[in-house]
Amino acid sequence: MELLKVENLSKVYGTGEARVEALKKVSFSMKKGEFGAVVGASGSGKSTLLHCIGGLDEAGGGKVFISGRDLFAMGENERTIFRRQNIGFIFQAFHLIPELNVEQNMMFPLLLDYRKPDRERLEEMLEVLGLKDRRRHLPGQLSGGQQQRVAIGRALITHPALVLADEPTGNLDSKSSQDVMDLLYRASRHYQQTVLMITHNRDLTASADRVFRVTDGNFMELGGAEA
Amino acid sequence: MKHYLELVKISAKQHRGQNRMTRLCIAMSVFLVTAIFGMADMEIRSQLMQARKTDGNWHAAFQVGEEQGAFLSARPEIGRVARYGTLNYHLEDGYLLQGVETGVCGFDMEFQEMIPDAQVSEGAFPETAQEAVINENIKTRLGVQIGDTIDLMAPGGAKKQYLVTGIAENTALTAELDAFCIFLNVDGFLELYKEESGADQELLYYVEFRSFCRIQRAIHEISDQLALSPEQVRQNAKVLMLMFQSGDSYLMQFYFVAAVLTVLVVIAGILMITASINSHVARRTEFFGLMRCLGATRKQVTRLVKREALGWCRTAIPVGVTAGVVLVWVLCGMLQFLSPGLFEELPVFGISLPGIVMGVLSGLTTVLLAAGVPAKRASKVSPLTAVSGNAGVVQAAKKTAGTRMFKVETSLGIHHALGSRKNFFLVTGSFAFSIILFLAFSTAVDFMHHAIVPLRPSAPDLYISREDFSNRIPSGLAEELRRYPGVKRVFGRSYAELTLSEERRTVIVISYDVQQFQWAEDALMEGSLQDAADGKGVVSVFRDRNMLAAGSLVKILTEEKEQEVRVTGVLGNVPYNYGLNAATDHVTDMIICSEEMFQRLTGETDYAVLDIQLYQDAADAQVQKIRSATEQACETGIVFSDRRIRNQEARGASYSMSVFLYGFLAVITLIGFFNIINSIAMSVSARMKEYGAMRAIGMSTAQLTRMVVSETMTYTVFGVLFGCAAGIPLNRLLFRWLVTSRWGDAWGVPVQEMLVIVVVMAVSACLAAAGPARQIQEMTVVDTISM
Repeated sequence: MELLKVENLSKVYGTGEARVEALKKVSFSMKKGEFGAVVGASGSGKSTLLHCIGGLDEAGGGKVFISGRDLFAMGENERTIFRRQNIGFIFQAFHLIPELNVEQNMMFPLLLDYRKPDRERLEEMLEVLGLKDRRRHLPGQLSGGQQQRVAIGRALITHPALVLADEPTGNLDSKSSQDVMDLLYRASRHYQQTVLMITHNRDLTASADRVFRVTDGNFMELGGAEA
Repeated sequence: MKHYLELVKISAKQHRGQNRMTRLCIAMSVFLVTAIFGMADMEIRSQLMQARKTDGNWHAAFQVGEEQGAFLSARPEIGRVARYGTLNYHLEDGYLLQGVETGVCGFDMEFQEMIPDAQVSEGAFPETAQEAVINENIKTRLGVQIGDTIDLMAPGGAKKQYLVTGIAENTALTAELDAFCIFLNVDGFLELYKEESGADQELLYYVEFRSFCRIQRAIHEISDQLALSPEQVRQNAKVLMLMFQSGDSYLMQFYFVAAVLTVLVVIAGILMITASINSHVARRTEFFGLMRCLGATRKQVTRLVKREALGWCRTAIPVGVTAGVVLVWVLCGMLQFLSPGLFEELPVFGISLPGIVMGVLSGLTTVLLAAGVPAKRASKVSPLTAVSGNAGVVQAAKKTAGTRMFKVETSLGIHHALGSRKNFFLVTGSFAFSIILFLAFSTAVDFMHHAIVPLRPSAPDLYISREDFSNRIPSGLAEELRRYPGVKRVFGRSYAELTLSEERRTVIVISYDVQQFQWAEDALMEGSLQDAADGKGVVSVFRDRNMLAAGSLVKILTEEKEQEVRVTGVLGNVPYNYGLNAATDHVTDMIICSEEMFQRLTGETDYAVLDIQLYQDAADAQVQKIRSATEQACETGIVFSDRRIRNQEARGASYSMSVFLYGFLAVITLIGFFNIINSIAMSVSARMKEYGAMRAIGMSTAQLTRMVVSETMTYTVFGVLFGCAAGIPLNRLLFRWLVTSRWGDAWGVPVQEMLVIVVVMAVSACLAAAGPARQIQEMTVVDTISM
């Protein structure tokens, strides 16, 4: 079942001599539960692609369908609500809310939806993420790996159909990086969530179902997990 | 780039938006101080100018003999001395000029330098004892010219002949009393006095002290040395007060209040700048961490912050000072426009040095001091901060936000305001100070309302009445005068004393025309004026405890019959004191009716009083024509009072104080308004990255707006609470010092002022939240995160 469909997605920055085509008519699709990894050099357009797919940035042209819904046909408010209910984001710099503790940060998307958090689900996630004894800690009191685990918990708490991860291990050591990858992989398999992850680290693409490469805005699929 | 401090310039270019807000804050604070001090300076100048015009430029006057007078002249701190004496001041001692009571003043020529009213406008000051200067009234009414002789009949029967050498303009008093007055030199005056009383008169020695003299100490020494009683010493209180040379205990209190307000203004400025710089440095923690990471010492970081602060001053202080100076110009221009004659010496484009110096000093020192603390904090930023995972976050939170009581966005907004105690106190402190300043300065408005009674809209420029108050000024005269050039309005009143038949007591009945009824609206305590104006009833006047209640029927006994009239309303006051006997405290009842009703009651249609209001450009010749027409219509027995000078003085004093005091309040309100907007904009700008993350997770713009609104409201509510908690007791204290101690009025909670400032704060808070919310809405999430 096709969950994500990208059609001729383009994005241009600047004008005249400063004009840069960050994305050049990118088209691809992903099925439910697939784990995709995007690789490419710095400035190749990887993050732009992820931002456009997530509706964080306006695309210059083309369409993005998630669960059959055209993201750019929605109004700003509708898109925001759709995003918080259907897309989970994980950033390299974590972007946790500094004044919310671990538990609150994880529940934050549900609170934005004025939904009562499911305690059982929260406990389960804290357990899986290994954050049970840190639930009352503020982000400033956690290590980088722990912060990223909180960010993953926050991304998964709403059962999103699509998880977008922008270099989630970029700020982590190798042990933490492997933990994060395991978590994402398990989520993809266990909850049948589609994951699209940007990474610099080719080793991390080993567990991906599909690997893509972005070069100067051009998008191509490299096939299954790279050997 | 040759020096690491050049980074300041480069960084300023990168953070133009954030720097603009800090600059704006400094400029506002400098503007506040410059404008308030500049306005205060100009107000003192204008009041001093006016005081010198109306009360003269003398400082003290001593009633002493000739020998002591010579001692005064020899004192080194005294710059100018002039002798002055007067006869027939109350116009009832029998010094007559063609049968008209005439005041006689004798003084030295130097006296004219001290009292502008004594100046000879035409001709010359008398050189001999047989020469005199006459006032404008004598010239116009008796047709006397320079070179003519006048005969002054003394009460003893002697006739003194004087050669007229000059003409002096009417003073406010002589114009109002329509009085004759002649000026003699001291020899002539003493000769007249001795001939009449057979004794020497002790003259008043008017004194002007030299600059930089401590006047109170000098007066004290003179009084001691000459053994003068307090009655023998007079002081020009108003002028001395405005020169900050008064020793009056009330005025010392007044100075103290001024000092308190000054300190408050400076503190408000300091708070605004400190809050702004604190927020700026907090926002750049990452940058300072990076600097430390690259090898900058703590001292170097401190220097960098201070250099940056001075860079802001370079543009912000001139902008603030210029804005303050321009505002002072506008207010001076307004004064010139409102009262052109009285403030002609006040320069529209005057420069107030105290205002500028205080503005620059407060701006510069505050910025340096305020930058010092954050600079120290910045220098302590660990190099790790720059490279840690949470880099870019405003500040690591120390407390967890409670999300149970309110919706999450509201809770976060409140937490953003309360999260950092220091920031919270600085921001709410600066909001609170706007309220404190407003409440403190509003006591000055109460003071103004007590000290300066504004001219009523009904105040006449010319007042004409019959000496016996009989209704014998023809109503046709009013009609005729209305057509005269320069005449704006003419309104008459008829007067009668009738009897209330049931109560057996006298009641004063006065007629009003439509215009006078309209003016009386403000004084209406109960009932309606309309029925009385339509001739269907009368209105009574609340006087002491006497009052005919609204709705009651009163029977009035007239010469022909008893008539019953209904009291349709009650007026709290009227602008005259007919029927008030100061000696016995007896107050006669008063009712006011239409002209038609007055005619029904008394059968009379003419007036006892005619009030005339003139256009501002009405000339003396036009007044003279009105006078001639009145004399022709009424022949003798009229009182003609020219109140133009007095009105102009009253209007001038009221305008001057109103313009500057309301100017103060407007500036304070405006600063409060901009301060809130700027503070919130800075706070939002500091958290932009965090807001971006929230949007990425799924926070809608409506939720984001609610978060900013709740943060703004938290600051505002606490600001209002702190402001009122400190401002109301201060208002009470200042009111007691300024008003209660002088006029005895009890203090009341300044509800109106509080409402005004709370509404301004609430509106500012809404606008403050709207701007950044719109700004965030217009940016993509990616832009917000990468800021």
